[in-house]
Amino acid sequence: MLTYEPDETVAHALDPRAKLAFQVAFAVAAISRPALAPLGVLSLLALGVLLSANLSPPRVLFGYRYPFGILCLSVLIAAVTIGPPWIDLADGVRTAHAAYGVGLVLLVSAAYVRSTPVRHSRAAIQSLVPGTPGRLLGIGVSLVFRFVPVLRRDIGTIRDAMAARLGTERSATERAVVLSSRGLTRAFVRADRLSVALQARCFAWNPTLPPLSFARADGLVLLLSVVLVTVPLW
Amino acid sequence: MSTDHEYDSVALVPESIVRPFARAALLAALTGAVAFVSIPIPFSPAPLTLQVLFVFLAGLYLGPVWGSVSLLLYLTAGGAGAPIFAGGHAGIGHLFGKTGGFLWSYPIAAFVIGALVHGRTGFGFGSIDPTADETPSGGFFDSLEVRDPATVGLGRLVVALSVGTLIVYAIGAGYAMWLLSLSPVEAVAQFVAPFVIGEVLKMAATIALVRDGRYELS
Amino acid sequence: MIEYDTVSFAYGDTPVLDSVSATIDDGEFVVLVGPNGSGKTTLLRHANGLLAPDSGTVRVNGRAVDEDVVAARTAVGMVFQHPRDQFVAATVGSDVAFGPENLGLDRSEIDDRVERALEAVNLQGRTTDRIDELSGGEQARVAIAGALAMEPTHLVLDEPFTGLDRPSRQSVHAQLRALSRDGTSIVVSTHAPGSVADLADRIVVMGDGRLVHDGTPDELPDPSLSDVFDAGSVG
Repeated sequence: MLTYEPDETVAHALDPRAKLAFQVAFAVAAISRPALAPLGVLSLLALGVLLSANLSPPRVLFGYRYPFGILCLSVLIAAVTIGPPWIDLADGVRTAHAAYGVGLVLLVSAAYVRSTPVRHSRAAIQSLVPGTPGRLLGIGVSLVFRFVPVLRRDIGTIRDAMAARLGTERSATERAVVLSSRGLTRAFVRADRLSVALQARCFAWNPTLPPLSFARADGLVLLLSVVLVTVPLW
Repeated sequence: MSTDHEYDSVALVPESIVRPFARAALLAALTGAVAFVSIPIPFSPAPLTLQVLFVFLAGLYLGPVWGSVSLLLYLTAGGAGAPIFAGGHAGIGHLFGKTGGFLWSYPIAAFVIGALVHGRTGFGFGSIDPTADETPSGGFFDSLEVRDPATVGLGRLVVALSVGTLIVYAIGAGYAMWLLSLSPVEAVAQFVAPFVIGEVLKMAATIALVRDGRYELS
Repeated sequence: MIEYDTVSFAYGDTPVLDSVSATIDDGEFVVLVGPNGSGKTTLLRHANGLLAPDSGTVRVNGRAVDEDVVAARTAVGMVFQHPRDQFVAATVGSDVAFGPENLGLDRSEIDDRVERALEAVNLQGRTTDRIDELSGGEQARVAIAGALAMEPTHLVLDEPFTGLDRPSRQSVHAQLRALSRDGTSIVVSTHAPGSVADLADRIVVMGDGRLVHDGTPDELPDPSLSDVFDAGSVG
């Protein structure tokens, strides 16, 4: 699975704020169903982005086989019509065109995921979202990263316990009830302990923010983002 | 060693915010932790996934304000790279992708479910306890009250969950329709129809969980 | 110095602390013993303002806790049971930095403190390690480092040995002994004192919200307390 990995690539060295701006701009450009020429440029750009994070394009495509499979399914469903001539090629092509752009956005965001540690994302959020909402969002994101593996283990334990007690004979609804009620109970117990620890550690509205530095390369990325946002107007 | 008067500028986050905030963050993490769980349903083309069930629970147990904060945290953390979207995926691309509409609908649905179930008290107006002071002192977050969903009437629960589900599917399928140039029929065929059985079961599961009082809010 | 002056506290209608008075001096190593439900956790949580007394006062380094909660929370570092649930970040360095960041210190000062705190628990150079992949004992030590990064005069540990295996427990013991030698006052609460009692300058025994005994380890065990110690002979 695609997650952050420490490395010294171009993408790793960029400021997370520039990377966030670029992704959003790229998404705006790619899902606006641009003409073939700009779409070609975007494709090359996406390829460049992957390489800048030292990601192998075939590997990423393989990792995204399910989302891409569903996109292909959409194209198929769009192409099929009820009644003759059964296949509406133009309709299918229109959806394929859109789906291609969506695929490119996924590739670009893969590079962000690979090249950006949580503390950078947290710093970016806190510098982009002002005041208390930014503070809660930043720490909240950090907490989600921290607790996903812990809670995933909890869920695994509950499933095992359920299976041990003839769990497979229960109905789907019953299993959902047991899994979610026990999962929620455990999560809230942990949350209450966490909230005590947060207070003991002086959880404050006005902390020292993690350091970020905006370099010349980041300026270029930002400039490129501005250009990308204008693609729908072309 | 530290001496006093050093940290006069430190503005502590009050307990009335830290506690529900920690719960919101852990519910977000839990919603992500169940991204891998899928329970097969007989005669249904799609298995039962638990994400939307936790959207329900966020509105029910955290109320409209913290429930929607919880799912906003889920989206932000997933966008920032936590492997918590369906199938363990991550990244901003998924927020714009074909199922992006579903993701964006989560905080909205949690908010609406919370609002329908908890009413005015969920927004800090009035109090669950009729004998309590009508105007609680302190800030906005101090005045928020979330009643135990087990005490909520069945009709109200069914309405709230149905409206929440409609919001999820309207925004989810609507966005996919726009994004991929699909006709309404095509969008429903791919993004709604396969999940109908699962959604009904999820609502039943949520109501069973809530009414059962297996989970006690304290 | 932590001073409890006739502190009483109740959760709703359930009295938990009954007019407790006690003093913990700078540099002292105190072990607080008592069965579950005797009020140990409640007593400790008054030392940094997590709980406020119904009557009586708590002073830290001469100042009432409710007058300056931040001062109390920096002076009294607290480590709770279940270290896993008190981390705020996925990696060691980010987590230990959380406290100093909240104090608004300069980045260079924060980095220094993180380094010193990790050194003090023998985890130097491990800032980028994922907390989730550490052993139970290492996690307990990271939690201690998180408290030490606030540079407290007192380090309070509430049931720190629960769920730790023997080697982990011993590694935590060793850290506590070293910290104590360096002048930090340490308070450990436990229902199962075991060998941590050997480290103590003083042993305080609680029962039903009162202090039942307060003295040097030599004066113990009072025969009436032997069951407390038997239950806790964990080595």
